[in-house]
Amino acid sequence: MRPGHVGRIVSLGLAVSTISLAAGGFPGVGFGAALVGEAKQVSIQPRAAPGTDALKALYRRPASVPFPKDNPYTPEKAALGKKLYFDTRLSVSSAQSCASCHSPSYGWGDGLAVGVGHGMQKLGRRSPTIVNAAWGSIFMWDGRLATLEDQALGPIQSAGEMNMPLEKLMKRLESIPEYKPIFVRVFPDEGMTAKTLAKAVATYERTVVSERAPFDAWVEGDDKAVSEEAKRGFAIFNGKAQCASCHEGWNFTNDGFQDVGLPSSDAGRGTFVPGVIKMAHAFKTPGLREIARREPYMHDGSLATLEDVVEHYDHGGIDRPSRSDLMRPLELTAQEKSDLVAFLKSLSSNLTPTAAPVLPR
Amino acid sequence: MRTSKFIALAVISGLSTGAFAATEVIHQQGRAFSAESINVKKGEPLTFLNDDSVPHNIMSASKGNEFNLGSQAPGSSVDVVFKEAGDVKVICAIHPRMKMTINVVD
Repeated sequence: MRPGHVGRIVSLGLAVSTISLAAGGFPGVGFGAALVGEAKQVSIQPRAAPGTDALKALYRRPASVPFPKDNPYTPEKAALGKKLYFDTRLSVSSAQSCASCHSPSYGWGDGLAVGVGHGMQKLGRRSPTIVNAAWGSIFMWDGRLATLEDQALGPIQSAGEMNMPLEKLMKRLESIPEYKPIFVRVFPDEGMTAKTLAKAVATYERTVVSERAPFDAWVEGDDKAVSEEAKRGFAIFNGKAQCASCHEGWNFTNDGFQDVGLPSSDAGRGTFVPGVIKMAHAFKTPGLREIARREPYMHDGSLATLEDVVEHYDHGGIDRPSRSDLMRPLELTAQEKSDLVAFLKSLSSNLTPTAAPVLPR
Repeated sequence: MRTSKFIALAVISGLSTGAFAATEVIHQQGRAFSAESINVKKGEPLTFLNDDSVPHNIMSASKGNEFNLGSQAPGSSVDVVFKEAGDVKVICAIHPRMKMTINVVD
């Protein structure tokens, strides 16, 4: 077993200091639980703030799209996935497809505060974009699904959304003669099953990638690609406003679950990790690529514009125990706020329009 | 009363290993654990040090060795002692990419 890189520190304190059990909102002591000692403060070397060039290097676009080993990319698989993604017959009403809520016309969302499902009922949360989903590590606002393949079958079966049980789904597909031969060609060993349907849809989704934005040209060395406001905004994003603590890297997210203090009673991630204080009202950090085209914002679409979002973070949100320790009033000036918005707008590429596929009959 | 029992346990281990007890340290810089897996003896403390620039919330739901450190600010260091042998799956509740396994041995 590899111990990996570990440091060793000499701890004089353990045997003699008073040890109290750390609070954590958790049934920590009792039979069969690990013992947690006292929290100590250690001085860590604060790293010098990186210069602009070093910062830009953290945001370079990756060279290729990652596909998992158990579901590699082929053009035929992605093409089949695209047909399924746009096919309304995957819903019980034959009126809703994945593309209904995750539409190329709206930055791969639906432009609504919250999604609309079966019977035109409003759902509880905003439809997330699928842009750059290939780089995601966990899916849904509350992180309840681990892979894109898992996620593909979620809304299909969900009563509030496409409301289509898998057995009925496969019968529906069997009644469309042109589908089966395509599945057999793409998946010769597995044929047409819910699993291969999910694999195809996930493969297509992984091909939906944000294109080169003015910000990327600037990162690559074109100093005229973005405005001076946007350059200042980038510095504020990484510095005073500390947005990069969560919205980090080229896709502007580390997928972290945070409560940003919105006035919403939605338990978010807390439903799955009860007893962990910081997970109440916590939602997955979304990426920021194409963000100017993806209003309204937040898990419930409650903030209409980027300016509103900046205001929210500047105020710090509702001070409650679950709120991320990173959230606090930022005291941004009016200029800093507008610079931040200018920077966010530089993350929009000219997304190539998506041609609607011809569907099997 | 629990506190004094714990001190007793710690003193006993201190006496057997000498006055200086060196602990293994798991770092969390860059939203990543410094080790994917590590071996630890039952009753031997493991230090979780947040030397990152953001808070972390280290925890495990592994039966027999559950723990939750709550929100750990940068600079915070906490020792955890495992009571049962076995594999402990440790995660950061906040950052889903942070995962590691502690193999607790007798």
